[in-house]
Amino acid sequence: MSADLSRLLNAIGLLGIGTVLALALVDQIWFGELPCPLCILQRAGFFAAGFGIALNLIFGPKPSHYGVAIIGAVAGGAISMRQILLHIVPGTGSYGDAVFGLHLYTWAFIAFGLMIVGCAIMLLDDRQFSRAEPMSMRLKVLPLTALLVFLALALGNIASTVAICGAGLCPESPSSYMLFDNMPL
Amino acid sequence: MMSLPFVLFACALGAAWLRQRGVAMGFWLVGLVTMLVLFRVHVTEVLSIQL
Repeated sequence: MSADLSRLLNAIGLLGIGTVLALALVDQIWFGELPCPLCILQRAGFFAAGFGIALNLIFGPKPSHYGVAIIGAVAGGAISMRQILLHIVPGTGSYGDAVFGLHLYTWAFIAFGLMIVGCAIMLLDDRQFSRAEPMSMRLKVLPLTALLVFLALALGNIASTVAICGAGLCPESPSSYMLFDNMPL
Repeated sequence: MMSLPFVLFACALGAAWLRQRGVAMGFWLVGLVTMLVLFRVHVTEVLSIQL
């Protein structure tokens, strides 16, 4: 695998993570489903993992960058697994609506698992690490778009989390935007 | 407080964009630890299981 192909696959992967995070924001803003603290931390897990992929795009593919992505995905996966276990016993309820039969935290766990497997598969090919040629022109647009989308989503999540939780810890089941509740109007 | 991991990951991304790899990795590591500390705070929520 050439470094260019590796970058292309990494850009597609980062756009995939961006799509997941964007859909979470759409679910929150459009459908009014406010994220719980564990849901917010799972979003942070996607950023922790996606940062490794972003490093591949900026500095070129390196095994350590995939390591960053895997560590982030393991941390995010642990958080989503905890939320699955909170609701695994029948009668203990769930958080949020199901999408295609599974709740968002279950989809998050699957996504983190796929990221780990994807990184492991990418690590199998050593040829991408042997060359350090500059990024070719035809591959500049997609990685740049992926990076800008990822950065914009990080800023969007900062604003969203501050709006929901204010400066402190989040309530266990948020029902409104705490920042706006406390605003004297 | 809960927005701190996002702030740190955004800083990490910004540092990487400016080609400061070491600084970026530092921000990422602090962000990851912050995320895990916040997870520790919320992981102890009581399970409502009727036995």
